[in-house]
Amino acid sequence: MDMDNQTVIDRPPLSEAELDRAFGALADPTRRAIIARLTTGDAGVLELTARFPMTQPAISKHLKVLESAGLISRRREAQRRLCQLEPQRLGQLSVWVGSYREFWEASLARLDGYLETLADKGAGA
Amino acid sequence: MTSSRLQITVPVDAPVIEFQRVVAASPTLVFELWTNPEHLRNWWGPKDYEMVSIDIDLRVGGTYRYVHRAPDGLEYAFHGTYRELDLPGRLVYTTVYEGAPDSEAVDSLTFDEVGGGTLIRCRSEHSSLAAREMYVAEGMERGLTESRTPDTVAGCDVGLLA
Repeated sequence: MDMDNQTVIDRPPLSEAELDRAFGALADPTRRAIIARLTTGDAGVLELTARFPMTQPAISKHLKVLESAGLISRRREAQRRLCQLEPQRLGQLSVWVGSYREFWEASLARLDGYLETLADKGAGA
Repeated sequence: MTSSRLQITVPVDAPVIEFQRVVAASPTLVFELWTNPEHLRNWWGPKDYEMVSIDIDLRVGGTYRYVHRAPDGLEYAFHGTYRELDLPGRLVYTTVYEGAPDSEAVDSLTFDEVGGGTLIRCRSEHSSLAAREMYVAEGMERGLTESRTPDTVAGCDVGLLA
């Protein structure tokens, strides 16, 4: 395997305050749903509002939280203000969280234990 | 290289996550462990999670679906389609976490015999960098719950994402 262009990241360069803001922003289901929508492409506030049973000011408030957490950015395009994902921040978070690692570490530890059970059964039979 | 420690690789410029790990079983058995519900229910997922259901139609083009339940009662479901079943060395399937159903990953696994065990390599390819970050940050958010103090993550509930 060519590992040259690959990087194993152990620690993200995020401050505690940045982490808290980002985790705080993601702790809300509507904001996570907005993020999920933005993974498929940029969207304006009207389009986002149409997807949720919420008023536009409520959605705008959520967008402001996401923006100050560095998870999205907004730009003007003609008359519209488009929201786009800032995948780098999510990337820093996800790597920091290490939940992928935790998932597979936990699963494969169970797999090791299960293999021992299978071996014991085989030996006992 | 053939360490039994889990090694994770996150390319910075491709929407891919990889892990590799050696386990003490033959490639044939590992393939079986990965595709037989009777085995899967005994190891897939964190240890306090209960496997609620596993449905597997093991053929190229066949589908699978796993549902497991966290200690707090929330259920998480994953499904996908088998693309390659190349016993015992190679297995390719798609994975959709149902909390973020717009994103589908393609998981390619290889099982290679090394010194009496098997080197498992799993490469998950997502549709975009953003989708990858989403999957890791969101689909496995329970890791977050374990890592942060409860008040910081109050209200975290991936089940509501869809």
